[in-house]
Amino acid sequence: MTVFKTFWQVVNKYKATVILYTVLLIGFGGLNMATNETGTTFVASKPDLFIVNEDKDDELSNNLVKYLEDNTTIKELDNDEEKINDAIFYRDVNYVVYIPKNYGKDLLNDKHPEIKIKSTGDYQASLAEMMLNRYLNIQNTFISSNKNVDDIIVNINETLNKKTNIEVTSKLDTHATTKATSYFNFASYSIMAAVIFIICLVLSSFHESGVNKRTIVSSMNYKKLNRNLLLSSLVYSFIVWVFYSVLGLIMVGDILFSIRGIVYMLNCLIFTFTSLTIALLISTLIKNKDAVSGIVNVIALGSAFLCGAFVPTKLLPDSVLTVAHALPSYWYINTNELLSSMEVINMSTLQPVITNFIVLLGFGMVFIIINNVATYYKRNIVKKI
Amino acid sequence: MKKIIEVKNLTKEYKQVKAVDNLSFTVNEGEILGLLGPNGSGKTTTINCILSLLEFQKGHIKIFGSEMTPDAYDLKRQIGVVFQEVAIFNELTVYDNLDYFCGLYISDKKTRESYIEDAINLVGLEKYKKFYPKQLSGGLLRRLNIACGIAHKPKLIFLDEPTVAVDPQSRNNILEGIEKLRDGGATIVYTTHYMEEVEILCDRIIILDKGRILAEGSSDELKELASIDEKITVEVKNITDKVLDIIRKFKNVDEVTLNMNTLTVTYKKGKNNLEELIECFKSNKIKYDKITTEKPTLNDVFLNLTGKGLRD
Repeated sequence: MTVFKTFWQVVNKYKATVILYTVLLIGFGGLNMATNETGTTFVASKPDLFIVNEDKDDELSNNLVKYLEDNTTIKELDNDEEKINDAIFYRDVNYVVYIPKNYGKDLLNDKHPEIKIKSTGDYQASLAEMMLNRYLNIQNTFISSNKNVDDIIVNINETLNKKTNIEVTSKLDTHATTKATSYFNFASYSIMAAVIFIICLVLSSFHESGVNKRTIVSSMNYKKLNRNLLLSSLVYSFIVWVFYSVLGLIMVGDILFSIRGIVYMLNCLIFTFTSLTIALLISTLIKNKDAVSGIVNVIALGSAFLCGAFVPTKLLPDSVLTVAHALPSYWYINTNELLSSMEVINMSTLQPVITNFIVLLGFGMVFIIINNVATYYKRNIVKKI
Repeated sequence: MKKIIEVKNLTKEYKQVKAVDNLSFTVNEGEILGLLGPNGSGKTTTINCILSLLEFQKGHIKIFGSEMTPDAYDLKRQIGVVFQEVAIFNELTVYDNLDYFCGLYISDKKTRESYIEDAINLVGLEKYKKFYPKQLSGGLLRRLNIACGIAHKPKLIFLDEPTVAVDPQSRNNILEGIEKLRDGGATIVYTTHYMEEVEILCDRIIILDKGRILAEGSSDELKELASIDEKITVEVKNITDKVLDIIRKFKNVDEVTLNMNTLTVTYKKGKNNLEELIECFKSNKIKYDKITTEKPTLNDVFLNLTGKGLRD
């Protein structure tokens, strides 16, 4: 109990640091969530179009113009080539359609008149081109079988008006999952920093040369003391996880009450455990307490940048992501990304997530083994000196 | 008398250097044993071996009649150690530090509280219970360091140079505290290179050099080993070579030197040396001023045994 109590007394002295990392999470994490809303929602858009119609008196030409007016945004420009070119250059219009003189008549006479276009070549221009091609294909189909203008126009319009209902069957609330992923990705930095920083500082105090010697010569069993320190570190890490999970509930919302939310939190718990094993290893290896701050910055901040905690992984270069594979944060963040887009959660779809869990736990085991080896050599060296 | 510590043929080597060389000694119940020697003489290494902090190549160590091992927790319960360096938590207050280190031995909270109060009173830290170490002076830190080592009321206490870099006031306070511990029945092993402290405190002294015992005994017994018994220094104004020759012929005179106006006469043994010297000055009409007389110190003993001073 003495060791446990003292552990928390020392933690209490460093509580300002935990508060700092939490403020960072709330501040920058909140900002990240607000600016990173990449949920899959569809917004109708119309290309900007300018029509140069030199066949205004023809019904077929006018029907084409009407179709384009209904499905695009018609821009008013002077019929001046220079001004049209400027409008294209400055993206004031996406697409310009030139309907030549006698277009309708030439069509009926099978002269195959050509409609010229100018395009910005962008996505909106492609959309306009698709519409135009669709119209012309339908028009050509009916003209080849019937030369009555009224019939042709009726047939074209009927065909164009046929609608197909498209139902998006996905029930995934991408807005909520994106938010949750953003939060937990950013939390990787705060959790890792809070766990490594505090545990390293506290254990360094206990392992400081003089204090350690005093403990060894005392009647307290040294193994028992180390067990108590380990237990205290576990409890601390668990509290950090609970704290950041509760904060997640507040910041992200109801999604964390679902099975998906439980997997998010389980991932976070395993990551917290791995962070603890890193902290234990560092506290064994470091000799100077002053080095802790620098080490935390290198490990926690470095992992966060390399693995995509702050920046979405899709924006990171492949070379960086290849290096990131060697860091626990990568597997944690990868799980969050998988959960963000996972349509259905079941044992089958969770296979890659479970693989990531195993990799994370594997990292933890490796750190524990290295720590044990380092402790063994350190103890022997100290005894012989 | 009951033997609290028995060290037999202790040898500790670092590669080819013998830090402790076939050391054997005992510490009796209720005594303060001083381990005196210059830096690097093997004092701290000896203590670390006794406490099982270090592995050693040869020898046997018994404490309270039982073999000392790293797992001898029943023995360790009765031992208190004050290390050379200040070994405390900088994040804890004076009281919390004491609570932790006492808690390593005493699990009962009420007993611990009472022991902590006693330790605080012993070293005079009553006003500083809620202070953090960084708020304490070097002397107060040393006192806290001592309190942390003895708060659990051990029967055997090791004090490894507890007064290094301490101001005179704190040193006196610490030495008084150690005497109180002895009066309370504790057996104390005290290492230092300050001979004055050893002379004041210790019942028995072991002089160490290069890991070996050079001499052992009480302060008076050790001074018997010095080649001189008394050194008299006089400021003289008109002394002649003839008078110097007269003085050289005095009984027990070892050496006579004149440096400017300072005459130094060292005696091997004997009594009334000063009286005889003043008579000589008077009869030869020598004017004199400022007379000082010194008895041999442990440094002289060490000088005599090794040819170098304790602080060289």
